[in-house]
Amino acid sequence: MSLSQTSPLQRPDPGPQAPGSAPYLVPLLVGGLVAVALGVYGREHTPTGYAVGLAGFSGAQAMKSWLATASFVLAIVQLVSALTMYGRIPGLQAPSWTGALHRWSGRLAFVLSVPVAFHCLYALGAQFDVPRVLVHSLLGSFFYGVFVAKMLSLPKRNLPGWTLPVLGGLAFAALTGLWLTSSFWFFTTFGVTF
Amino acid sequence: MKRPWPLYTLGAGVVLALGLGVASAQTAPRTDAVSAAGKAPAASSTAKSTPSATPDPAVQVQADGSASPAPTIEAEEADPAPKRADYAGVAQGNGGLVALSIRNGKAVAYFCDGRVESWLKGTADGSTLTLTGKDALITVALGDGKAQGRLQVGKGKWRFTAPLVHKPSGLYRASAVVRGARVVGGWIVLPNGRQVGLLDVGGSSAPAPRLTPGSPMTFEGTELRPQEPDAFLPGL
Repeated sequence: MSLSQTSPLQRPDPGPQAPGSAPYLVPLLVGGLVAVALGVYGREHTPTGYAVGLAGFSGAQAMKSWLATASFVLAIVQLVSALTMYGRIPGLQAPSWTGALHRWSGRLAFVLSVPVAFHCLYALGAQFDVPRVLVHSLLGSFFYGVFVAKMLSLPKRNLPGWTLPVLGGLAFAALTGLWLTSSFWFFTTFGVTF
Repeated sequence: MKRPWPLYTLGAGVVLALGLGVASAQTAPRTDAVSAAGKAPAASSTAKSTPSATPDPAVQVQADGSASPAPTIEAEEADPAPKRADYAGVAQGNGGLVALSIRNGKAVAYFCDGRVESWLKGTADGSTLTLTGKDALITVALGDGKAQGRLQVGKGKWRFTAPLVHKPSGLYRASAVVRGARVVGGWIVLPNGRQVGLLDVGGSSAPAPRLTPGSPMTFEGTELRPQEPDAFLPGL
């Protein structure tokens, strides 16, 4: 294990779990349920074509594209700060505020993503007719499932060391795919407009 | 202790999503319920009627008619037509797009699959409309946030379902005179970015330039300005 001392995972804390059980089972299960529930909701309810969003943009797509872009930029902060905390950036000692930066950039990225996902699910629903939209719909459900799994895993002390990096990496990869299939597509199709 | 913080993060997301849901349900331009909501859908003036608003706007629409969750044609026929609504969707089995726009009792529909197009007109005096065009007919039922119906253009017949859409999605029309020929362009843009369009140049079809909502385009050196229904519908 090459975990740095900032990781809480190595602290010996037997906890209520028996050593043989898999402590990541419950977070993964709940995350999976969340992903499935979002997908089913997006598929089954009738899209309203309308949802409340942030004012000040030319339309819902522009609003979502910019919010998603902000969230994606913060996700890059997430990736870099996580790599720093785990000592994976050569020659860089994690400053003491790295953990706080990681937590707050993550919270902000998540909160910024919620209005976007809300508009997607509530107003448009999950759609599978175009490859881009299909990928976006599936990744969107997957992202929130992984995110829930990671949030539920964080407080647990007896997880294998790879749990958080794997969950965080999956979340980052999913968000990258979401950004490419939405904001990047919007900016290249309609131009970089607000 | 930072143990519960991730749960607070999740909770904040859930609360935010629920808030957006309630706000959307209350401010949605459910123009089907125009008698109750008035003409300013953006103002959340209808809040007091349903303080514990259900996030399902379909239930709200039903609330002023029957309480039945399954809308029946009879119940919808009693509803007035929306004063202002735009629908766009796909013609099943054809892949062409259908758009319907309603402004103050007047309705215009447009069908286009990139080769064949048809403009149809009619009055919007109830929640079921009949629109006619040259060798074309549309019957459509409005409600539940969408327009559903049948479309007949020439020999082709299709069903379609068109959800409510908002700018920059929806219907666009441009007309101009290019070297003495009357040019009419029609475009439909779906929320997923898909679009279709066709130009009618003096009676024959020509491929339409790709539409960027809000921007003019040039056709054979003449500028075309595709307009939204607000601009072109009263003049049709």
